[in-house]
Amino acid sequence: MKGINPLAVAIVAGIAAIAVPLVGSDYAVSFSIQLLIFLVLAYSWNWIGGYTGYTHFGQVGFFGIGAYVGSLLNFHWGVPWYLAAIAAALAGAATAVPLGGAMLRLKGPFFAIGMFGLARVLEAFALGFDSITGGGTGIYLKPISDLKPIYYVVATVAMIMLLLTWKLDNSRLGLKLLAIREDENAAESLGIPTTRLKVGTFIASAVAPAAMGSLYAAYLGFIDPPTAFAPNMELTTIAMVLLGGMGTVLGPLVGALVLSIVNEVLWANYPQVYLACVGVIVLLAVLFMPRGIVSLGMKSGWLGIGRPSFRRLAADSGRAPS
Amino acid sequence: MPLADLLIGGILLGGVYALMACGLNLIFGVMRVINFAHGDILAIAALSTVSIAVGLKMPFWVAIVAVPIGCAALGALIQVVILRRIEDGPMIMSLLATYALSTILVNIAILIWGGGYSGLPGVLSGSLRVLGVNVSLSRLVSFACAIGISLAVWWVLEFTRFGRAVRSVSAAPELASISGIAIDRVRLATFALGTGMAGFAGVLVAPAFALDPQLGSRFIIKAFAVIIVGGMGSYPGAILAALLLGVVEVVGSYFVGAVIGSAFLFLLMLAVLLVRPRGLLGAGVRV
Repeated sequence: MKGINPLAVAIVAGIAAIAVPLVGSDYAVSFSIQLLIFLVLAYSWNWIGGYTGYTHFGQVGFFGIGAYVGSLLNFHWGVPWYLAAIAAALAGAATAVPLGGAMLRLKGPFFAIGMFGLARVLEAFALGFDSITGGGTGIYLKPISDLKPIYYVVATVAMIMLLLTWKLDNSRLGLKLLAIREDENAAESLGIPTTRLKVGTFIASAVAPAAMGSLYAAYLGFIDPPTAFAPNMELTTIAMVLLGGMGTVLGPLVGALVLSIVNEVLWANYPQVYLACVGVIVLLAVLFMPRGIVSLGMKSGWLGIGRPSFRRLAADSGRAPS
Repeated sequence: MPLADLLIGGILLGGVYALMACGLNLIFGVMRVINFAHGDILAIAALSTVSIAVGLKMPFWVAIVAVPIGCAALGALIQVVILRRIEDGPMIMSLLATYALSTILVNIAILIWGGGYSGLPGVLSGSLRVLGVNVSLSRLVSFACAIGISLAVWWVLEFTRFGRAVRSVSAAPELASISGIAIDRVRLATFALGTGMAGFAGVLVAPAFALDPQLGSRFIIKAFAVIIVGGMGSYPGAILAALLLGVVEVVGSYFVGAVIGSAFLFLLMLAVLLVRPRGLLGAGVRV
């Protein structure tokens, strides 16, 4: 295979990930935890948004469900954070099963609006049932003094997501998902069980974000509805996938690295225009680079040409069917 | 609180939803673009109204004239600079673009007006008795204006040359193009009209609501609910659904509290999405 092998990237990234807590400062560990959480979110979003082509504005809903399930378990029953994260992942999957069956009957803008609305409903519930969730005041968890265990868990999950995406990209399953993205009716007519695959992808893409929500709450030591269901979390995740390249193995990794560093610089220097800057990055990517940074690598021969031809991602592909 | 109070309160609230949702629906119908920034244009319009009336001490009618025109101009700019390049592409791109635009507008609004609440006290204060119920004048006027504008735009769509052009672009862009309709110009005009309607709705909510830069996200989700319940692309459906949802929201809030009450709207929207995705009066838009 010509160009950079994703497996080699995974190995390099793995070594780098192990090295960070050994040589880096506490700040480096803390920054890396955030980066890796976003990386996991980006890979999850990539499955449903990049490969299957369903614009998912509700992923932060699963993140929030996970954050609350994990925090409440930890807060009320003293469940340690790693077990709470597993419980949160299960809760995410359990919510995604009925939701996926229902919501994926919708397409395109309907799905986007429905999921967007759902995340807001969940936020309203978290605010409204304040006897359980603490409402707007939030929940304060026992602070964790040593972040390294959380770091290693998040890094492992991120590595698993990278490898799973690599497997997916090289499998018939990945091709089937791309076929759904390109033309769902045609895929259906070729005998691809589109509904089953979509629902399955939806559920799979909900598990890791829920776990990340729980770990994020443990990492912050605090959770409230605006943090758990933050729309800017959603935007940043999507921006990472878009910037790196939707429906590619390395896209989310590249996007998350670039955008995390950009974010950190912006956040440190211009916190008041941080969100607008992320918005501008998404806009510029949509307008001028809808195929992401990875596609530049493919063009210049650094990366093997991916199978995804991005027909539906290119803005210049002629008129949309009316 | 008797039922009549709730019903009238709900219908009055629904008027503003109708104006906002009609603009959103118009844009979706013609461009197949879901404008996530629609609510933020409303918020910016409302905050500008406060600035004009309180900050510059100009009369309220100046805002009524200037703000919607300003919003329409902003809309035209957005259409030319951003949406024109991507509206024929895959839907995921326009969804992402308007979503990003929404956060940019919120952030700009926070930079200009700060994150806190502001209001417009003293404009159209006082109340009237309607059917034995005390109704605040500002809500009554905003309802009358909102429904008036919505119906006027509907009339334009139904009975003028421009309206026929809009409807034909909405129904079949290729055929409209073949028939000599300048699609790009119709889309530009429609987008400007739609954002202008959002701006007008913003002016109307200014005297009646507490305003902050996040106002948009609370309104957009309600406008989404309205056009889904009413039927995407259906103009009368949107007006009907707006009044219905206004009542549902007010009654729901009365019985279970404001936070969960507004969640009722979303649950109704989700239920409609699942049971009848085309909405009450929708013709079933193919996407």
